[in-house]
Amino acid sequence: MKYRLVSGLETHVELATATKIFCGCTTAFGGSPNTHCCPVCTGQPGTLPVLNKKVVEYAIRAGLATHCTINTTTHLDRKNYCYPDLPKAYQISQFDKPLCENGYVELESGKRIGITRIHIEEDAGKLVHESGYTYIDYNRGGVPLIEIVSEPDISSPEEAKEYVEKLQLIMRYIGVSDCKMQEGSMRCDVNISVMEEGATEFGTRTEIKNMNSISYIEKAMAYEYERQIEVIEGGGKIVQATLRYDEHTGETSVMRTKEDAQDYRYFPEPDILTVVIPEEKVEEIRKGLPELPTDKLHRYIDELKINPATAKLLYKYKRVCDFAERAFALGAGVKNTVNLIVGTLYSKLETEEDKEKFALPVSAEEMAKLVKLVDEGKVNITLAQKTLAKMAEEGKPVSEYIKPEDVAGMDDSELTEICKKAIEANPNAVADFKAGKDKAIFALYGFVKKATQGKADIKKADEIIRGLIK
Amino acid sequence: MSVSKQEIKTLARLSRLEFSEEEIEKFAPEFEEIIDFANRINEQVAGDTGSIREVVSRTVKWEDLREDEVVESLPNEKITSNVQAENGYFPVRRVVK
Repeated sequence: MKYRLVSGLETHVELATATKIFCGCTTAFGGSPNTHCCPVCTGQPGTLPVLNKKVVEYAIRAGLATHCTINTTTHLDRKNYCYPDLPKAYQISQFDKPLCENGYVELESGKRIGITRIHIEEDAGKLVHESGYTYIDYNRGGVPLIEIVSEPDISSPEEAKEYVEKLQLIMRYIGVSDCKMQEGSMRCDVNISVMEEGATEFGTRTEIKNMNSISYIEKAMAYEYERQIEVIEGGGKIVQATLRYDEHTGETSVMRTKEDAQDYRYFPEPDILTVVIPEEKVEEIRKGLPELPTDKLHRYIDELKINPATAKLLYKYKRVCDFAERAFALGAGVKNTVNLIVGTLYSKLETEEDKEKFALPVSAEEMAKLVKLVDEGKVNITLAQKTLAKMAEEGKPVSEYIKPEDVAGMDDSELTEICKKAIEANPNAVADFKAGKDKAIFALYGFVKKATQGKADIKKADEIIRGLIK
Repeated sequence: MSVSKQEIKTLARLSRLEFSEEEIEKFAPEFEEIIDFANRINEQVAGDTGSIREVVSRTVKWEDLREDEVVESLPNEKITSNVQAENGYFPVRRVVK
């Protein structure tokens, strides 16, 4: 029997606002316990929540970037549950009127993963369990979240990975979240079921809670898929349950089953009035959206003619793209710019985070100057690479390494003279070359490089040498 | 509307309340009365309850939402002044096994 994996993800994304969703406390990560707190976010009696405008704005931005419809009349709801991470014993969330609905995220294959809804809500506090106690820190309590709920359109761990990566990229591009899974600013709940090939109804699903790494999501999904098939093949039934994934054993285990499922008793939040968002505001936010990752990737490949592999290395990092595009605007050629970025600058940026930050002391202006020298054949690519590597380390301008006289001095007649010398000094190589060994010409390149201290444009030297030998 | 003993038990569990069997026995008909009383509101609006929210609720305008400007939080001693804080934390009885 063949089985199909059916999965949908609920992704929580912490919004990068300065303050919490209902009060003016900072959202800064960390801090000594209970120092980013006030009577509102610790649920003191008599306090009232006041909705942060930016939270609504960011959530709309997220919705528009994932092709959602925006509900311009929206309200918040209370989700009741009793646990010490929630000081009020309820979370203010959205139930029947989420801010955004019916969007999608497109995978590279062109397949679209539907977005059912995106709603806003407050994060809970952090609990530390030690000996007989649980210690509560409400610094995170009230930090704004969006929950992005996907349709059950995901049919493999690889698709789940790509979907989460795409979401992460989109949210970073539009600046609503840093989406750091290891710091918890992005976390996923994974719903999984299996169905027989050709079946028309979904199987019973399980939900794996609070995944904070993409590779764990993939592993947990693969494990749970196999487990469910094993149960069904063994004549058993899948029990609807909430699971946790053990990173060490690579297995899932039951947190709770349907019988003790939570009953959240949602009802409209009476402390916050219905929010009416002007259509013009939505349009304004739409107009303010930057170019989205997929569009950028396609533009790089189709219009700028960057080869797909290189384009993929670039578009993931918005700051790198901004840098490259500023250099293009200053007249730097696309090909040499991207090759120098990927070939030289990336070797200085080892981790993903380094590439995201792109904190190198090289300005786009200096980059453009260097690339233009290469474009014009005044500096060869090897020297440009060496120079750029030094610039990235020392933060000095191009003129510190390549003097105007070095560049100006290398005109065609001078290069021709050096090429002539190269031919004279390498009679054997010239003979081999004439005999049809094309590679023999490399010896001559070597001579030219050495004689010009790497300043010569080898492409040009190649032309001259070939001309002279014939 | 009838209310079962099981529903009372579920509600009690969700509300973190404990009742004896006799109490639950007694509460079921009492709850029925309360719900029937509340249902009289529905009768008054001739079956159309879907539009009520829209009619009665007031709305908040975009410009009246809060600007995203940080306000100083309270010092830890103040926030935890009603409990015996430990290293700045609120301690409660351990909630996981």
